Amino acid sequence: MSYADAAIGLILVGLSAYLLFGGADFGAGLWHLVSRRRADQRVIEHAMGPLWEANHVWLIFVMVLTWTAFPPVFADVMATHWVPLSLAALGIVARGSTFVFAKAVPDQGWYRWIFGVSSVLTPYCLGAVAAALAVGASGWLTAVGLYGGVLTTVLCAYLAAVYLIWDARRLGDQGASLRFRGLALVSGAAVGLLALPGAAAFGVHAPLIWVSAAAGLVSLVLLVRRSYLAVRVTGALAVVTVLWGAAAMADLDLDAAAAHDAVLKVVLFSLGAGALILVPSMAWLFVLFQRGAPQGERPRAT
Amino acid sequence: MSSLALLAQNATGAATPADFMAARQQMAFTLGFHIILAGIGIGLPAITLLAEWRSLRTGDAVYAELARRWMKAAGVLFAVGAVSGTVLSFEMGTLWPGFMDTYGQVFGAAFALEGIAFFIEAIFMGVYLYGWDRLSPRAHLLTGVPVVIGGLLSASFVVTVNAWMNQPRGFRLENGKVTDVDPLAAMFNPATPTQAVHLVLASLMMCGFIVASVYAVALLRDARAGRVDRYHRLGFAIPFSLGAVCAPLQVLVGDWAVRFVADNQPVKFAAMEGVEHTEAGVPFRFAVLEVPNALSLMLRFDANARLRGLDSFPADVRPPAEVVRTSFEIMVAIGTALLALAAWWGLAWWLRRRAGGARADLPWRPWFLRLAAASGVAASVAMLAGWTTTEVGRQPWIVYGVMRTEEAVNPSPGLRYGLYVVLAVYTVLAAATISVLRRMRRRPEPAAADGPSAPPEAGTGAAQTTGEPADREAAASGAGGTRSLR
Repeated sequence: MSYADAAIGLILVGLSAYLLFGGADFGAGLWHLVSRRRADQRVIEHAMGPLWEANHVWLIFVMVLTWTAFPPVFADVMATHWVPLSLAALGIVARGSTFVFAKAVPDQGWYRWIFGVSSVLTPYCLGAVAAALAVGASGWLTAVGLYGGVLTTVLCAYLAAVYLIWDARRLGDQGASLRFRGLALVSGAAVGLLALPGAAAFGVHAPLIWVSAAAGLVSLVLLVRRSYLAVRVTGALAVVTVLWGAAAMADLDLDAAAAHDAVLKVVLFSLGAGALILVPSMAWLFVLFQRGAPQGERPRAT
Repeated sequence: MSSLALLAQNATGAATPADFMAARQQMAFTLGFHIILAGIGIGLPAITLLAEWRSLRTGDAVYAELARRWMKAAGVLFAVGAVSGTVLSFEMGTLWPGFMDTYGQVFGAAFALEGIAFFIEAIFMGVYLYGWDRLSPRAHLLTGVPVVIGGLLSASFVVTVNAWMNQPRGFRLENGKVTDVDPLAAMFNPATPTQAVHLVLASLMMCGFIVASVYAVALLRDARAGRVDRYHRLGFAIPFSLGAVCAPLQVLVGDWAVRFVADNQPVKFAAMEGVEHTEAGVPFRFAVLEVPNALSLMLRFDANARLRGLDSFPADVRPPAEVVRTSFEIMVAIGTALLALAAWWGLAWWLRRRAGGARADLPWRPWFLRLAAASGVAASVAMLAGWTTTEVGRQPWIVYGVMRTEEAVNPSPGLRYGLYVVLAVYTVLAAATISVLRRMRRRPEPAAADGPSAPPEAGTGAAQTTGEPADREAAASGAGGTRSLR
C-alpha cells in the first residue's frame, strides 16, 4: 500500500466519521427546529456536544488532508463548487455560534431558530456537492445536486432520530424516546425510498447497495422490536455505505494528484503521533462528562 | 469546464478586477476577525490560570470567581473562534485555488500539526470547564496547562505558513510543479521565529488589555459611586499586568522583526518606513516627524548607511506603500502608548511596594483608568494594523517572489457577492457575540461550590463582594490590586 492509499483511506475514515457524528448533529438540529415539544428539545440539547461543535474537527481533518495529499483535487473541487461550499461554511458558523450562544444565554429564541435552519442548510449544500462530484454533474443547482442535498439531509435526520431514542431513554424520558422511535421509522423509510432508486439509477457498485439496503431493513425491524442499541450500529452502517457507494463512483484522478512521499510521510507520522495524545485525552473528557456532578448538583458549564 | 482548467487558460486571475479585490478583502476581513478571537483564545486561558493559581495560593474566593467567569467567556469565544477558523479552511480553496493547487502540499503538514494542537486545546478546554467540581483543585489547575500550550502551539503552526509565504523554502519549481518538497524546511523557514514570537506576544498583550479594559470601565463606575470593589480591582490587575509585562518584550521582538524584514524583504521595509529613494543617511520619518539620519543609525548602527528605496524596485513588485506605511505607523504608535501605560503601572506598583502600602491609590487614578479602558480596543487595532503591514507588504505576491496573488485567485465569476454575504453574516455574528458576553456578565452566577458567594445584586455586574466588610477592609488596606501578583 502506498502512502497515497493510506491518505485516501484516512480521508474516507474522516468523511465517514463526519457523516456519522457531525451528520447526527445536523439531524438533531433539524429535529430541534421542527419539534414542538420542549421535552424533545431538551433531550437533543443534552445529547449534543458538551462545549462546542467538536465534530467539525472531522471536516477540517478531511480538508487539510486533502489539500496536503491531493492538492489539485482540493483546489478544483473548492474552486468549482465555491458557492455551495461557502454557504456550508457560513452554515457551520451560524450553527456553531448559535449553539454556544443558546447555552450561554438560554432566553433568546431566535438563536435556536437560526441553529435549526443552518442545521438543514449545511448538510444540504455538502450533500449537493458530494452528489455532483460522485456523478460528475456540473454543479449543485442540478437535479443530481438537489437529489444529493435532500438525501443527505434526510440521512442526517434519520441518524439523529436513531441515536436520540437511546439518549432519551437514558434521561428517563419514555415519551420522547417513543416519539424519536416514530421519527426514526418514518425517516428510515424515507431514506430507503430515496436512496435505493437513486443508487440503482446511478449504477452504484453491487455489494454496497445490498449491504446498505439490508442494514436499513434490519434497522427498521430492530426499531419495531425496540433494540435501541443494536439499531445504532445497523443504522450507521446503512448510512455510511451510501457515502462509500458515492465515493466509489467519483471519478477523481487521485494518483496523478498525489503529493510527494516526503510530504505524506511527515503528515501521516504527525497524525499518528497526534492520535497517541488525542485518543486518551478524549477518553478522559468523555469519562469526566459521563460522571455526574458531585452532590447531585447540576453541571455548571452547560 | 472546471475552474482549474479556467485558471490554467487565464493566468491573469479573477473573472473581474472587482472579484479579485473582493477575494482579497474577504480573506482580510475573515482572517482579521479570526485573529482577534484566536488571540483572545490564547490569552484568556493564560489569564484564567493566573487567577486560579492565585486562588489556590491564597484561598481567596475572589480569584476563583474571576477564574470561573473568564473561562466561561473563553468557552464562548473559543466556539466562535473555532467556526471562524473553519471558514478560513474553506476560503483557502474557494478563494485561492491556484495557491493550494501548487503549494498545498508544501505547507500542508503545518496545518495537520495545527489541527492536532488545536484539538488538544479543545479537549482540555472541555476537561477544564467540566472539571470545576469534579477534580481536585490542583488537578484542575493542571488541566488548564494543555489549553494554554495547545493554543500557543496551534497559533505558532499556523504562523509558520504565513512565514513561509514571506520566506518560501523547502521545494523546487520544475515546469510549474513543485519537486524536492521538504515540509520541515518549509515549516522552519527563516521568518518563522520572528513572526511566531511577535504574534504570540501580540495575542497575550491584546487579550490582557481587552479584559483589563472591561474592568477599567467598572472601576471608573465604582469611583464615581465612591466605592471600592476588590473583585474589579483584581479583575483589572491580573490581565493588565500580563499586558504590561509583554509590552516591553514586544518592543524588542518588533525590533528584531523589522531587522529581519529589512534584510530579507527590503521592498516591504522600504514601504513600511517610507524610504522613497535609495540614499545614504536616511532620516527616520514618522507621521509628520523627521529625525535626520536616524533610520540608518537605528537599522545599521551607522548614521550614513545606505538604504534601498522603493524606486530601486520595478513598479510591478512594489506593495501599495501608503497602506503598508500607515498601518505600520499605527501599530508602532499604539505599541508605544501601551508601553507608556505599562510603565506607569510598573512604576505605581514599585512605589507602592516601597512605601509599604501607602500611596495605595496610585494605580487607580481616573486618568489612568480612562486610558486603560481604551487600551483593549487600541491593542486590537494594533494587532490588525501589524497584520496588515505584513500581509499588504508582501503584495503583489501570495508566495513572496514566486507566485503573484492574481495567479492564485478563483477565476469563477461573482466572488464579490460572496464578500457581501460574508460581511453581513459576520456583522451579525460580531454583534451577537458581544451581546451574549454582555448578558453573561449581567446574569447572576449560581452559588460556587468552592467558595461562598453572596447573592449577586440585580443589574450590577459581578458585584458580589461589595457588601462584605472584610473585603472592603482588605481592599482599603491595599491587599488587592497589583500586590497580588507579587
